Amino acid sequence: MLRAILAIALIGAFAVPALADDEAERQAHWAELKQAVFGDRPAVDAAGLIALEAPKRALDAALVPITVTTKPDAGIVGVTVVIDDNPGPLAARVSYGPRGDPSLLALRVRVNQYTYMHAVAETADGTLHETAQFVKAAGGCSAPVGASEAESLAEIGRMKLRLSGEVAAGKPVEAQLLIRHPNFNGMQMDQLTRLYTPMKFVQQVEVTLNGERVLNMESDISLATDPAIGFRFVPRAEDLPGKLKVTVRDSDNAVFVESFDVPASGS
Amino acid sequence: MRPTFVALVLLLGACSATPDRETAPAPDGFWTGPMGGPVPATIAGGTVVDTAELAALIAEHDPVLVDVGPMPHKPDNIAADVWVPPPHRTIPGSTWLPGAGAGELPPERDVWYRRWLQVLTGDNTTRPLVVFCHPDCWGSWNAARRAILYGYTNVQWYEEGIEGWQDSGRETQEVQPELPPS
Repeated sequence: MLRAILAIALIGAFAVPALADDEAERQAHWAELKQAVFGDRPAVDAAGLIALEAPKRALDAALVPITVTTKPDAGIVGVTVVIDDNPGPLAARVSYGPRGDPSLLALRVRVNQYTYMHAVAETADGTLHETAQFVKAAGGCSAPVGASEAESLAEIGRMKLRLSGEVAAGKPVEAQLLIRHPNFNGMQMDQLTRLYTPMKFVQQVEVTLNGERVLNMESDISLATDPAIGFRFVPRAEDLPGKLKVTVRDSDNAVFVESFDVPASGS
Repeated sequence: MRPTFVALVLLLGACSATPDRETAPAPDGFWTGPMGGPVPATIAGGTVVDTAELAALIAEHDPVLVDVGPMPHKPDNIAADVWVPPPHRTIPGSTWLPGAGAGELPPERDVWYRRWLQVLTGDNTTRPLVVFCHPDCWGSWNAARRAILYGYTNVQWYEEGIEGWQDSGRETQEVQPELPPS
């Protein structure tokens, strides 16, 4: 995919003055970010291991839905989402535990300017598999604080969990977690006071099933207001019925905990 | 010319001349409200250019290009490993003067902007001067108006901004800001 994008960009480059080569600049920026996040580790083409779905043009840059899917049973232990041109590029770094299933990660993010987004899967041997999408959206990080943030603040830490499909032992269950949190990134101006609202954002989300880890997500300022996380987990027979526990910690070290029943079948 | 072709040209012309978007009345002085939102369709003393017109201007008339897009506000107390200043990608050849489009410009910043325009135009007030930032952003309107009031007689306001430029498939160039006095 990335090769195809590069090829197209190279063809395009001959039509404009040699002065500009933003594809090269964008790739150089990604190389720097990758070094900062992963260090000197080998990265290979995704080769069908990971896919990133994002709108080519987002209607609301402060609320861009993205979905990362990975190949089942590929030995993936972590998934990272980077929004290259965001001031806080590391949108989410997820590591999976024994009850986790990395085949799906759905998020809603803010996008600062037209940018590449990268999704990187990490396999147990430490190899990185990357894929990219170019997203046309701008202004999402400095979108002014409005009424919805005030509502989120009033209900901060409240959570909802929705399970879809059958809940059966050994089968992946799809879950949609909604966390009430304004996720202030510190870049948003209050239109009335003309002051920047201090940052207060979700930094960590841990999900366990009966005490065993499903996933742990670390995030920065790129998640949208009221973070939503779509994920999958795999219960064993002895886990059902059980409890899915979500622990959220924000940048002020406020901790929010909620437990949800996981019934033996259905939802 | 075949009638259908003429009709198509007229239709395309109509689309680019009257984009389907909300506009706002021009304020008396500068716009001091929130920077994002509907902007006027025109600017007194200057010309509004679209992407094709700007590309032609660049190809033929070597205009001065001034990008007045704001710098992102770095949050207080943010950890060094979280904050990565985003690359500022602009129209190749542009000078980035963040903050020149503020509603109220303190005197030392007014001097800074005025001097930059003198330097960039070679003190030639008739040289084409293009001012832009983002679509629906008052910053470029304010900065273009300021240049007109300084006495520049060939001010081109490129309202579509850097996103409009990229939407046309044109290349950008990463630049560093020429910072105003704080």
